[in-house]
Amino acid sequence: MPYKISGISHPTAPGKSGAAEVGGPDRPLHQITLWPHRSLHRTGFAWFIGCTAAMIALPLFTLIGSPVFWGLLPFILLTIAAIWLALQDSYSDGDITECLTIWPDKMTLVRQGPRNKQARWDANPYWVTPVLHANDGPVPNYITLRGGDREVELGAFLSEPERVALFNDTRDLIRRLH
Amino acid sequence: MADAALHGHDHDQRGFFTRWFMSTNHKDIGILYLFAGGLVGLISVIFTVYMRMELMNPGVQYMCDEGMRLLADAGSECTPNGHLWNVLITGHGILMMFFVVIPALFGGFGNYFMPLQIGAPDMAFPRMNNLSFWMFVAGTSLAVASVFSPGGNGLQGSGVGWVLYPPLSTREEGYSMDLAIFAVHLSGASSILGAINMITTFLNMRTPGMTLHKVPLFAWSIFVTAWLILLALPVLAGAITMLLTDRNFGTTFFDPAGGGDPILYQHILWFFGHPEVYIIILPAFGIISQVIATFSKKPIFGYLPMVYAMVAIGVLGFVVWAHHMYTVGMSLTQQSYFMLATMVIAVPTGIKIFSWIATMWGGSIELKTPMLWAFGFLFLFTVGGVTGIVLSQAGVDRVYHDTYYVVAHFHYVMSLGAVFGIFAGVYFWFGKMTGREYPEWAGKLHFWAMFIGANLTFFPQHFLGRQGMPRRYIDYPEAFAYWNKISSYGAFLSFASFVFFIGVMFYSMRYGRKITVNNYWNEYADTLEWTLPCPPPEHTFEQLPKRADWDKGHAH
Repeated sequence: MPYKISGISHPTAPGKSGAAEVGGPDRPLHQITLWPHRSLHRTGFAWFIGCTAAMIALPLFTLIGSPVFWGLLPFILLTIAAIWLALQDSYSDGDITECLTIWPDKMTLVRQGPRNKQARWDANPYWVTPVLHANDGPVPNYITLRGGDREVELGAFLSEPERVALFNDTRDLIRRLH
Repeated sequence: MADAALHGHDHDQRGFFTRWFMSTNHKDIGILYLFAGGLVGLISVIFTVYMRMELMNPGVQYMCDEGMRLLADAGSECTPNGHLWNVLITGHGILMMFFVVIPALFGGFGNYFMPLQIGAPDMAFPRMNNLSFWMFVAGTSLAVASVFSPGGNGLQGSGVGWVLYPPLSTREEGYSMDLAIFAVHLSGASSILGAINMITTFLNMRTPGMTLHKVPLFAWSIFVTAWLILLALPVLAGAITMLLTDRNFGTTFFDPAGGGDPILYQHILWFFGHPEVYIIILPAFGIISQVIATFSKKPIFGYLPMVYAMVAIGVLGFVVWAHHMYTVGMSLTQQSYFMLATMVIAVPTGIKIFSWIATMWGGSIELKTPMLWAFGFLFLFTVGGVTGIVLSQAGVDRVYHDTYYVVAHFHYVMSLGAVFGIFAGVYFWFGKMTGREYPEWAGKLHFWAMFIGANLTFFPQHFLGRQGMPRRYIDYPEAFAYWNKISSYGAFLSFASFVFFIGVMFYSMRYGRKITVNNYWNEYADTLEWTLPCPPPEHTFEQLPKRADWDKGHAH
């Protein structure tokens, strides 16, 4: 699941050992972090670049000692660099995190990325209503948070069942605050 | 962008120019590739029809120094124009290898259907995709321009063969050769950028849960092809760049007078050239897998062996290149190695053929047009594969080298294998791409005309090769006349079927019956593109697809 909830604890019992890092006067009660799915793991990236480099080096080995080696080398290096950069660029396209942090009297949603973009939303949880738009959003089961100065979206990049699960989790967390 | 976008539905309001010339949409670019590939294919086929006219009878009737003729005229003088002949075979080879089959299969179907099958909203780099397409168009223009610009023998065009071997290519006069080299450069750059795009999309944009062992076979075939392009084409680019500097800047990479080695060019050319053969055929494998599973109403037999057979064919393709050049004077050990390695490729290819047959075995086979093309592919590709085994024998190859036997072999694999794959894909996905039906009888007529025509063209060339007729000549002795005449009849029939096909396509796009369902075949067409309307909307899978839409338990 590309989201993670840390520090779920009942707000009336903040001092429990399991929730030591949250629940203090300035510490948030809950934090939900969301990120989009990327299908290539870092190990997969290493394997792919490794295999590509090994295979493409083959013609170079046959040319060692010939000036043609130097004619070919730049093209080979350029290719490896290009696929490397392309995959890295694709990672950074998906380098988005949405972080919803909940305090007893404050709630922030910070969206980081892609490429150093940042957006922020603050609200008082008392006035916040999470809404699940089954069909009328840009994606099915679109989640928005109403409250604060504007209505914001949450986890539009998740898959449909993930959004439903996230909606239920978020609603429960906010309800418990009220 | 954290603001809610509740009413952000955008409608397709692009004008014609914006949509087709500045497109970043993978589906539109796929269609552009298919059209452009078809147009270049027509040019390239017209070359061959003219060549078959010339070869129909011994003696030279059409390609005269006095001017090209369309009608034979025994009354007037005709001095054979061998240069024109050479230009036509070079043009046919270069266009078919770089500007027809790769764009149609990899650029066209790959662009359109690979992102759909893995549930990606578009390619990873949509603007680079547009750049790839227009570089391909620019490359095509240069290739065609090269035919009409000053070349060797004081005539127009270059006649050095598509492999551009030095010293022929470095000594050809005029700038036609340079234009041809630039054309291959541009096409190579276009393919490499396309391949980078496809690889990134395939690796990093699969829908959650779609592991590599669950990706549909067509998407897999496109990935393996992209990887082969990435590995092979830079080598070609390097080789022809060195040709260019040898021609223009006085370097001697391939010139023995300055310490260079022309055989080395052949090695690096074929290091690219052999994988190129698989670059051409692998997407066809993917299409055929989808078509056979659909029309046998059975999941594909042996999914994982099918995947790894493709990967194995790709990897083995890089270690067999010198079987194209047994006669250059390699040591016995080298020849033995290349011979054995070449024969090993028959193993993964055999796995694929057997799995296709096993898929059909006990299935409920429906002989719709795409399935006919798949059957045709299976039969013809196997024939081409078997003659390939014959040619892989270094000893036998000495007899067959540069004869029509080789011509017959590679046309069975590529002209009949890859092209039948293209047609299978066109008929399979025509409704999906256009939202209209083609007349079934027309598709079948096209198939039978092409099947008979292509066999009539190329099967007799085996006999000609065995009789010892060398390739790449404008004329031949009387003894070869019989089968050449039959071969020419076959070429005319194939050409007629191709013209008919173009007519059918344009008719169906305008007047074909409208399709209202998402999946107009059956439930065994179970990849993600069949969950979308015909044609799919401009934007697809902006939300991740549901797992149940693509993960059919029975398939694996």
